[in-house]
Amino acid sequence: MKNHDATKSRSGFCTNVALCAVIAAYLPFSAAAPALAEGTALSGESTTVLRAGQSIDKKDLYPAYEYLHLSATNLDQDGRVSFYMGGWGRTDLGDKSTDKYQDGDLQYGYLSYRAPKNNLVVNLGRQFIAEGVAAEKVDGLYLHSDFKAGFGAAAFVGAPVVTEPNASGGDLIYGGRITHTMPQYYTLGVSALKASRSGDRYREEEGFDVWLHPLKQVDAVGRSSYNSITEGWMEHDYQLTYAPLDNLNINANYSDINYKNYFFHMTTNVFSLISPSNPTGLIDPNEKLQTAGGGIAYTPIKALTLAADYKNYGYDIAGHANCFGGKATLALPGAVVAGFAIHRMDGATDKLRYDEYRVFASKKIYLFDFTADFFDVNYDSRINGVKNSYTVIGAASYAISPNLKVGADVDYSKNPNYDNEVAGLFKVTYAFDIRRSADGRAK
Amino acid sequence: MKRIMILLLVSLVVCTLYACANTTSIVKTHPEKVTGMPDCRECHTDTWKAFNHQAADFFEKHRFYAQEQRLACASCHEESFCDDCHAHKEEIKPSDKYADSPERNLPHRGDYLSQHMIDGRINPASCAKCHGRQNNERCVTCHR
Repeated sequence: MKNHDATKSRSGFCTNVALCAVIAAYLPFSAAAPALAEGTALSGESTTVLRAGQSIDKKDLYPAYEYLHLSATNLDQDGRVSFYMGGWGRTDLGDKSTDKYQDGDLQYGYLSYRAPKNNLVVNLGRQFIAEGVAAEKVDGLYLHSDFKAGFGAAAFVGAPVVTEPNASGGDLIYGGRITHTMPQYYTLGVSALKASRSGDRYREEEGFDVWLHPLKQVDAVGRSSYNSITEGWMEHDYQLTYAPLDNLNINANYSDINYKNYFFHMTTNVFSLISPSNPTGLIDPNEKLQTAGGGIAYTPIKALTLAADYKNYGYDIAGHANCFGGKATLALPGAVVAGFAIHRMDGATDKLRYDEYRVFASKKIYLFDFTADFFDVNYDSRINGVKNSYTVIGAASYAISPNLKVGADVDYSKNPNYDNEVAGLFKVTYAFDIRRSADGRAK
Repeated sequence: MKRIMILLLVSLVVCTLYACANTTSIVKTHPEKVTGMPDCRECHTDTWKAFNHQAADFFEKHRFYAQEQRLACASCHEESFCDDCHAHKEEIKPSDKYADSPERNLPHRGDYLSQHMIDGRINPASCAKCHGRQNNERCVTCHR
């Protein structure tokens, strides 16, 4: 275990180093901006958020946040080089909302090269990588390309970007994925990930993944991942969709998780395995979970969807649980969105027996948007003396201009931890896009 | 010497395969303006139709599609869109940040302080995907 304060300072140091690296990478482009391609576009979004609420120990919290996302595309003559970055900062206007009055994070920041052929991508900087067994944020290099005969490959190397409240996340991570695709039928992939800490083996995961669509009505995805250090399967996770009609969707899912192999070298004690050297751990390494479920969704008219779903949780140690329910959603884009959902969780212990309800509606009137959302959980047996826990949210926003929007919401909650909790949020969003609009983009 | 020869040979094979692939890259920006949750089947009849965002199980499957066709996602979504949930470090839960978008599948709606204890028992692996190695600094407030 690492000292918490030491870990924090290392995390902050890494963030600063990453930020400097990103800025250093961007400066040449920034300085050369007048000489860059005419098509160069700079776009971004600033969101300023002020929250108001009370902590569980009755402190008045007024944290103010600034989220900033920037992208500069078509930096070269051929439009192949782009730069993206995003992050946030927070300062507390009232009591401390965390253990610091100020905090912030560079969420991503990377220089990207994309070729017009072969889906060649080269990214350098802080980025999120999703390649087979890897779903990691990395400060480093990422490469991807198509090859002949349907083959493709991706590789990455860098420093893992992790939070380390209790344990280290390693200091080097690398991996890759090789795929074969027949566009009409399938993509098959094999992938691997390795991480080390001070030169020692820290994580070693391998896996294979599938995306099958042999028939027009069938679509299946899934992945199996193996832990080479603990020498066992971590997870099998597969989902199948069958759509016999355009307005009918039938789906099934299956997963199998081995806790000993899955929760290996997490960075927080919440997921630490119980062992002779860690008797206060929270995860039983002998537990295995299998889930199996499915659902059906029917769209009688374009705006209305009716759905029912079921999932069984089977544990080797903890017993079984079933979750089932349904929902109805009405969506008239640009006008009204409304929905209702009800689910029943029926488990082996008291805490795993409850009913869950949700009702929401959102309506657009001229330049205003109004939203109401009600979320209720009714426990079979009381938790902290509370049987019914609910949250009511009211939100409104006004589009001052196509680029500038202000909004606010208030939520009231009664739950096992708060008798009456009231919280509010006010936000101002400003988007800018210089030279060229990015059609199709969703912020 | 043997290692250098293998390295050169592998490099040659990779370059040849790359040069011969000759596929056209996915467009950087979707040519048609897309807003809200699109039903990709309205225009696409090929592989892309699987990305119908209105499908009942799209949210469950999006993690697989993101690894299969990351560039296709990027033609409509900025990186910040992914980071709203898949953040390295975040203090506002997505459903609070976007309370005005009730139709989106944003995690942790309602009173999640109470519910997280239940969900953590039901399937801790579903928590660990996002909080196992990142975005977990708040966990130590209680779980020291």
